[in-house]
Amino acid sequence: MQGELKMVRAQQVQKELEQSAPPPFNLKRRYRPGETIIQGFLFACGVISILTTVGIIFVLGEESWLFFRNAEVNIVEFFTGILWQPAILRFGIWPLVIATLTTSIMAMLVALPLGLMIAIYLSEYASPRIRKVVKPVLEVLAGVPTVVYGYFALTFMTPLLQQIFGKNVVEVYNNASAGIVIGILILPLVTSMSEDALAAVPQALRQAAYGLGATKLETAMRIVLPAALSGISAAFIIAISRAVGETMVVAIAAGAGPRNFNSWGDAMTDLAVFNPFKAGETMTGHIVRISGGDLSYGTLDYTSLFAIGLLLFLMTLGLNLLSRILVARFREEYE
Amino acid sequence: MAQQTNLPTSPYPEGAMLKRFVTKRMGRATLWSNLFMLATLVGIIALVALLYNILNSAFGFVALQNKIDPTALVLQVEEEQLLAAPKVVASEDDEELAAGIAADPNAIGFFGYAYYQAHADQLKLLSVEGVMPTAATVEDSTYPLARPLFIYSTEKSLQTKPQVAEFIDFYLANVTNEITAVGYFPASSALLAAGAARLQEVMANTNESERSDTIVTTGSSTVYPLTMRMGEQFAAAGFTGAVTGESVGTKAGFAQLCARGSEVDIMNASRAITRVEIEACRKAKVRPVELRVGSDAVAMVVSRENAFLQGVTLEQLRQIFTTASKWSDVNPDWPDQPIARFVPGIDSGTLDFFVETTVGRQLADLPKETLMTILTANVSKGLIRRLENDRPFAERTQEEVYQLVVARVIESQIVKSWSLRDSLLRRAEIEAEVAQIPNGELIFRNWLTADFVTSPQSSEPLQAGVRTALLGSLWVILITMLFALPVGVGAAVYLEEYAGTNWFNRLIETNINNLAGVPSIIYGMLGLVVFVRLLEPLTSGKLWGVADPTTANGRTVLSAGLTLGLLIMPVIIINAREAIRAVPSSLRQASYALGATQWQTVWHHVLPTALPGILTGAILAISRAIGETAPLVVIGASTFIVMDPDSPFAKFTTLPIQIYQWTSRPQAEFRNLAAAAIVVLMVLLLTLNASAVILRNRYSIKEV
Repeated sequence: MQGELKMVRAQQVQKELEQSAPPPFNLKRRYRPGETIIQGFLFACGVISILTTVGIIFVLGEESWLFFRNAEVNIVEFFTGILWQPAILRFGIWPLVIATLTTSIMAMLVALPLGLMIAIYLSEYASPRIRKVVKPVLEVLAGVPTVVYGYFALTFMTPLLQQIFGKNVVEVYNNASAGIVIGILILPLVTSMSEDALAAVPQALRQAAYGLGATKLETAMRIVLPAALSGISAAFIIAISRAVGETMVVAIAAGAGPRNFNSWGDAMTDLAVFNPFKAGETMTGHIVRISGGDLSYGTLDYTSLFAIGLLLFLMTLGLNLLSRILVARFREEYE
Repeated sequence: MAQQTNLPTSPYPEGAMLKRFVTKRMGRATLWSNLFMLATLVGIIALVALLYNILNSAFGFVALQNKIDPTALVLQVEEEQLLAAPKVVASEDDEELAAGIAADPNAIGFFGYAYYQAHADQLKLLSVEGVMPTAATVEDSTYPLARPLFIYSTEKSLQTKPQVAEFIDFYLANVTNEITAVGYFPASSALLAAGAARLQEVMANTNESERSDTIVTTGSSTVYPLTMRMGEQFAAAGFTGAVTGESVGTKAGFAQLCARGSEVDIMNASRAITRVEIEACRKAKVRPVELRVGSDAVAMVVSRENAFLQGVTLEQLRQIFTTASKWSDVNPDWPDQPIARFVPGIDSGTLDFFVETTVGRQLADLPKETLMTILTANVSKGLIRRLENDRPFAERTQEEVYQLVVARVIESQIVKSWSLRDSLLRRAEIEAEVAQIPNGELIFRNWLTADFVTSPQSSEPLQAGVRTALLGSLWVILITMLFALPVGVGAAVYLEEYAGTNWFNRLIETNINNLAGVPSIIYGMLGLVVFVRLLEPLTSGKLWGVADPTTANGRTVLSAGLTLGLLIMPVIIINAREAIRAVPSSLRQASYALGATQWQTVWHHVLPTALPGILTGAILAISRAIGETAPLVVIGASTFIVMDPDSPFAKFTTLPIQIYQWTSRPQAEFRNLAAAAIVVLMVLLLTLNASAVILRNRYSIKEV
């Protein structure tokens, strides 16, 4: 009814206008198909990102579904087994997961303390001149392709570890060298995110601490660091997520086969399953190696990759969401 | 600590305690500040180590094993050319040469010094580089055309085989009488006496064992006739056994002598042992004993009637025997008469020696025609025809023909390669190791040459290059850019300029942030299923009828580009949004006030202002895409192709993939190739990043 009324009024106005002197311009809102099309296109561009996510979830989900539906696959074994050998239809995910955890933990051991210390140094100690030198260096490190880090791990870090710990202890392919190099790889990320968090702490807080007679160290550790904690922990979690998803370093240097055990008992003997100096393929490394070869679609080998991929996706997604929540919930607002 | 608990009740430290307290606090502060600095230093060291490690492998020594020794090849062709020149008389008979030279005032020739002495009355001896051959100048090699002659034995042979010691004793005592007959220059009695003394010294610890009948000799072809002659004399003097001899050349002779468990008793040498060979001997626990037996000197002679020549330089000699045809060509002061050349025959060691010292050039320095001669002489006619069909030889440069000779005739194979650090610090060891390789050659190789960038992939590390991979990378990046840039910027414009704050737009926003954190390999799996499999007709080009019949599957440049496009899209969107947000809204309002539509405002005002920021973000995203490896492995980059990619539907490989493959191979030389490819990749990335920095700087200037 209302619409009709409006229409009638509009027609009236129109008539009145036509009867009076012809206006110099037509002030009616013109229908512009071009604008609409363009807006539609731009909207479609935005939707592509949604489609990407949907595509990822659908692709991983569908192929994983095909994998788990297969009669040969035991879903309980998948989540509890420590033997991954597709050739004899044994799909226990743990050898791959443990290798991923080992390399990621090694990476964290390198990147977190170093990255945080560098961030504190840059934000609290360094003179502008030093910052001008160090920051580009870190940017260069961040821009180096991961395959180069893989090369570095294999041809530099592994021989170095062999020299330190002995050739019979450290295998040519090992989790430790891959982990350490991933640590170097994510170091710039940890540093720059942590430094941003530290720099966001207001100057007044520092000055108050100095005014009370605190040393630089006390100010940095007891005032600035706690204030920036949410940003720093977000940086740490993003870094862990990067380390878990990192592929080329582990594909080149960590080993070309899962470190399998017949039972958890064997695996836990001398904690052999956690030995960082032995070769052991990670989740990402396995996906790259298997898909790099000739792989026919629809086989168990093929679908199993997607099951691993799904797990990997969920792990990194969980970590990223966690970091976002941390930032949102524990952010300290300063004026 | 115990003291502290006994402190008075005041909560603050006082007196000496205060001082200690303050010192401790300051100490801790300094310690940590140093630790922080140290951490930063570790970060910088990591980068330095990374770069060092790459450069360390991109350059270094390489041991090559040649099918044919290039020096022998040069020598052969030079000798042939020398003999083929007009007015050359070659003869194995030195009498004939001497007579010929004596008769013609425009003749020049050379032969062993001994023969000159026999005909000194008819011939005039020339000085070379101002030095006349005399007993003294020949013995200390100041005369350029002289070389010492040695025999080498081992302490073990001398001490355990009495017949060897006796033979050498006999050799040193009688060689002066025989050497002129073979054509060489005798050693001074002082040198011979020194040799005899060395022999006695070694013989002091003789370790007598049963007597055997053979004496094994090997080595230089120059000394060979002398040693065999001495062997005959020794037999004539009553030796019942046999002196066996082989003429393999000095270099090979040393390799035999210095091999572990060597059976060689006497090694003939036309030069002294080198440091490298001594090192090799030391490793094989062989102690060589050096004995000088004489000298080889080539006498340059002209006729007694020749008035204009007193001496020549080596350069003049080279011209006289190769390029010049008249004397005046070499020196305008000399007569305008054709040069008559008299040289010993091709089988003579003297000719070899002369060519080596005067004409001898490196293979790479030979003119194109000469290289062509070598090539045609050593490869099949069919291959020549094929090469001619590929590209006429007339069009090829000397450098290219040289490469062909190296690849087809010499057929170098890499035996081993060393890093730059080893090459600099362990040179002696490396040289000794290479000396053990028959026909081995040690070259310092720069793996990163122009050839490396322009040649296609090859299974032969010496010929392998990155052209296919580099072009593949560029193709993939082109597609990535064409896809991700418009779509990414479009999404950013939508989110910043059009989108309201409803749930759907918030979802898009959160979603983009989450996508930025998805591991790249997951994108690879998405690309594999969607672009390679589902959209195969599209990405393989079947739908357009341009499918490459050799592949006809979806593992193409197009699939790779689209996959990487999805991968970098979030980065482009996030950066572009920031750039668009930085455009002041007064600009938009001014545009609207003038009656522009929303799109007109965006297109004519917002985008141009935000462009530098958008491009900076895009370039950073592109450089990430260039370095990406994992998703491309998953969607199936080709492992080995030599064809350049020429369309979006071509099979492809990219630089990072190439690096990954070379790194994964066990042989060290492929690691060298990987290092060189990394340098190419890094240069590409640095160029891109530098342009991003320039853009950013220009942008910030504009803003002020």
